[in-house]
Amino acid sequence: MAAPCRHVGHHIQKNGRFLRININQLFACRSFGLTSALQQQATDLHKESKEAIIIPRKKSWNKEAVLEALASTVQRDPTAYPYQFQDDPYLSPRTSVEFKLFSLSQESGRAAAKYFVNSNPKLFTKDFAEPHIPCLMPESVALRLEEVSQEALEERISLRKVSAAVEMYDQLLQSGTAVSMETTHKLLDLICLYCDRDPVQEGAPQTEDREEEEEEDGRRKPMGRRVTDFLKFTWKENNNAERIFNLLPERDTRCYSALIRGMVKHGAYAKAFNLYEDLLNNRLSADVHIFNALISVVPDVRKKNNERWDLIAELLNQMNEQKVRPNLLTFNSVLKALRQFSFLAKTFSPQILNEMKALGIAPSLATYEHILTVFFYKSASSGPSNMAVLQDVLTELEGTSFTCQDPNDVLFFATAMKLCLDNKDLELGYKVHSLVEVGENWRLLGDSYQQGLYYGRFFNLLCLMEDIDVVLKWYSRIVPSLLYPNPQGMKNLLQALDTDSRLDLLPTIWKDIKTLGHDNKVDLVEELLSLMARDEHSVEVQESFAACALDVKSVFDGRPKKEWSTSSLSHISILLLRANKLQKAWDMLQLFKDKNRVPSGALLSSFLTACRCSASPQRAVELVQLSAAFSLPTTPELAKRTLAEFELNDEQRSIVSEFEAAPEKEE
Amino acid sequence: MASFGSKVFLSLGRTNVSGVGFRKTGNRATYATALTVNSSTNKARGGKGSTGRRPKRGPGEPRTEKMALDQDWTSVYPAATPFRANAIPLPLRMGYPVKRGIPPEKKGNLELIKIPNFLHLTPAAIRKHCEALKPFCTEWPSALDTDTKCDEHFPVKIQSTDYVSAGPSIRNPSARVVHMKVRLSCLNLDDHAQKKMLKLVGDRYCKDSDILTITTESCPLRQQNYDHAMYLLTVLYHESWKIEPWEAEKTRADMEEYSWEDSTSQKNILDTLLRINLAGEGEEAEVREQLLGREEVLEYKDSVETLKNEEPSERNMLRYKEAVRKVLKV
Repeated sequence: MAAPCRHVGHHIQKNGRFLRININQLFACRSFGLTSALQQQATDLHKESKEAIIIPRKKSWNKEAVLEALASTVQRDPTAYPYQFQDDPYLSPRTSVEFKLFSLSQESGRAAAKYFVNSNPKLFTKDFAEPHIPCLMPESVALRLEEVSQEALEERISLRKVSAAVEMYDQLLQSGTAVSMETTHKLLDLICLYCDRDPVQEGAPQTEDREEEEEEDGRRKPMGRRVTDFLKFTWKENNNAERIFNLLPERDTRCYSALIRGMVKHGAYAKAFNLYEDLLNNRLSADVHIFNALISVVPDVRKKNNERWDLIAELLNQMNEQKVRPNLLTFNSVLKALRQFSFLAKTFSPQILNEMKALGIAPSLATYEHILTVFFYKSASSGPSNMAVLQDVLTELEGTSFTCQDPNDVLFFATAMKLCLDNKDLELGYKVHSLVEVGENWRLLGDSYQQGLYYGRFFNLLCLMEDIDVVLKWYSRIVPSLLYPNPQGMKNLLQALDTDSRLDLLPTIWKDIKTLGHDNKVDLVEELLSLMARDEHSVEVQESFAACALDVKSVFDGRPKKEWSTSSLSHISILLLRANKLQKAWDMLQLFKDKNRVPSGALLSSFLTACRCSASPQRAVELVQLSAAFSLPTTPELAKRTLAEFELNDEQRSIVSEFEAAPEKEE
Repeated sequence: MASFGSKVFLSLGRTNVSGVGFRKTGNRATYATALTVNSSTNKARGGKGSTGRRPKRGPGEPRTEKMALDQDWTSVYPAATPFRANAIPLPLRMGYPVKRGIPPEKKGNLELIKIPNFLHLTPAAIRKHCEALKPFCTEWPSALDTDTKCDEHFPVKIQSTDYVSAGPSIRNPSARVVHMKVRLSCLNLDDHAQKKMLKLVGDRYCKDSDILTITTESCPLRQQNYDHAMYLLTVLYHESWKIEPWEAEKTRADMEEYSWEDSTSQKNILDTLLRINLAGEGEEAEVREQLLGREEVLEYKDSVETLKNEEPSERNMLRYKEAVRKVLKV
């Protein structure tokens, strides 16, 4: 502990003067001002033979470094539920629908809580958190400044109150106060971003005006549209943005930029181009955002391919003339616009990549996604040779960690996996997955829909190409923590099990199907039953199959609306018979009658065999009667067999012989 | 879907409320109505039965069923969390046994949840944590390889505690306490200084281990408490070296140890010896001197001092008895 020693030593040295003065009071033998620490320092100086003690310098790190180091020791837990849900089997989602519902309800709860905190700030003044957590305290959402001034305008802009800001601006103009250019820019940005409407407050009921405007627009959407469609407004003629713009004495690039981008965002494409012409006529130079916006809507403005390309080329040339430096989004918009027509895209994409390299802009995942789509899905000839493109892309991206730079970045992984699936390339699939596992790249998998696409395709690829052990290993790793398979995915899994003859796992798969909520998909259940009933298996397996079949039956019974099909009924009966559950199998026959389905002859003959094993002649007779009731062609054979194999009394014999004779007479 | 449903029913709710006329409560009511109506439409859409309620949602199987035998436990329990029965694949039972039975199982067992668990600190986890924290550490000085050397070079030891807990605040008032330990033999104290130091510190000194412990907690911050402890040590040292004029008034009652010279025991033994005429002839003072020089008297002196200074034990008493017999020649 060098520090305290040095500290003490320091004190001694400081007080040394006092000690010298009091020397007559000290004992003679006392040496001056020495503690063991100073002794140490003295000996250090005098006795170099003693090993010097080097105290290393203390390392310093930032506040989260220790936590990050400890967090790096933890990997993903494959059986865990998604982290935002409670870790309880009852409270966590089991299907993809539930996942969506639960996460939305969590978000809506949070939004409601935020709304209450913000609308009653006086009730939430006490701050418990130490150190202070700003996002838990109420934010100011109410306006404080009421007078007509620039500060009030700025406040309204920062609180995103569009209509109030416009009003304040008009009042300022009327009163003759000059509004600074900076504030005007911000105001125009605000209006164009929100398309001249107040943004929806989270959790609050919408205002009257919005509802009426919606009706005016005639945007009555049918049920089932996504939320984002509601937030797409059309750019109205002569709205506030344009009006303010026209009123401005001088307009510079930023004002034009705000308006053009607003028009592009809200659908007024032609107007955007007109405004751009205006800008050129005024001899102003556009900025990179304007160009990005215009390039992205070229396909909507021109219909023919060569016209589109001409327009893009013209825009790019003008960009060059005006010495505006393109950025990543420029190139991505060019590629996106060219997606539609593959020939040109194919020709120009290498050039685009070279330009990007020359400018030192690293391509993002969106770039690669456009390229992949162009080369594979829009071109007439796509074949295995084109996989080389994907191979090259993956080799180049190997081990790189990405951040999201373009909204379309999230589509890359799903597209790449789709390519691997279509071309049945397992190795590339693994490569793509290893790229996902690098660092933070999992964030670029997108929202739950995109993630479901990616993992679903990956799982399908595995089921197609890998043997069953690997498939089951991946199954346990990604289902259901990362993926809720759809019925097609489960069917693929069943196929894989069938290929590798691991049909003994079918009852566990049925349990998973039930948990996923796919037990109402008739074709999936039928396929499962047919796989189970197809072959004979060992005794324990048959037992488990029979239990599974009973489970399926109870599920069907619980749903009176759903229709039974002949094949499913016969499969269940066969399975029950094979496991010697005769009584239950007999109930199945009754079900046949109830549901007006006709069992096959083979089924009834196997019933007869089972009856013989259990030696119940009465049953056999009933069987023959049943067969006649269904007017099956195998009735005479059944009757013959019954007579031959069973010990019948006279009554039974007479009944059976009736059927033996003339099946045509019975209707 | 959810938001559309909420929008439609929000408008319904609002029309109802505007009829009643309470705007403010209306806001909350609309929100509540939207949720309940939404859930009922959900039921109708997603329900399996046309009439009647949806079948009750089963409890689901715990995720221990799916856990592999060779899974990475440090990922399942990375941090201190309460006991979760569905995540721990151990057949634990805890609690008072049910009548004529066994302790209750782990599912829903509050006793298991109440107690602290160390599932996040298995040996494997600790090993991993140590490996991860090694880059933050510096090397131990190679010259300090034994405890004695550490004591010799760094005699003053400071101890303080940091506290971590889950809660809204990361501060803990107990973290300001500082303990400072030092061996008195390391400090340069002569006899008088030693005695004065001991009187000054009183309880803080442990005789068996010769360690003086100063605990400071009167300041709000740890740094301040540390400075205070250092200051106290320095002040004690200097004060114990100073000799105040009033220290000359130290009486026999203030002495820490019993000393035989000029004590009643000396007087008594000398008087006794003189009376029984075991002493030689001569003047009073000379006789006393002579007596004091005698071996038995010295032995007597030793035994008395031992009895008084150390704890009374069988041996000491026997020694005293022997010494008395020798002196009195009995």
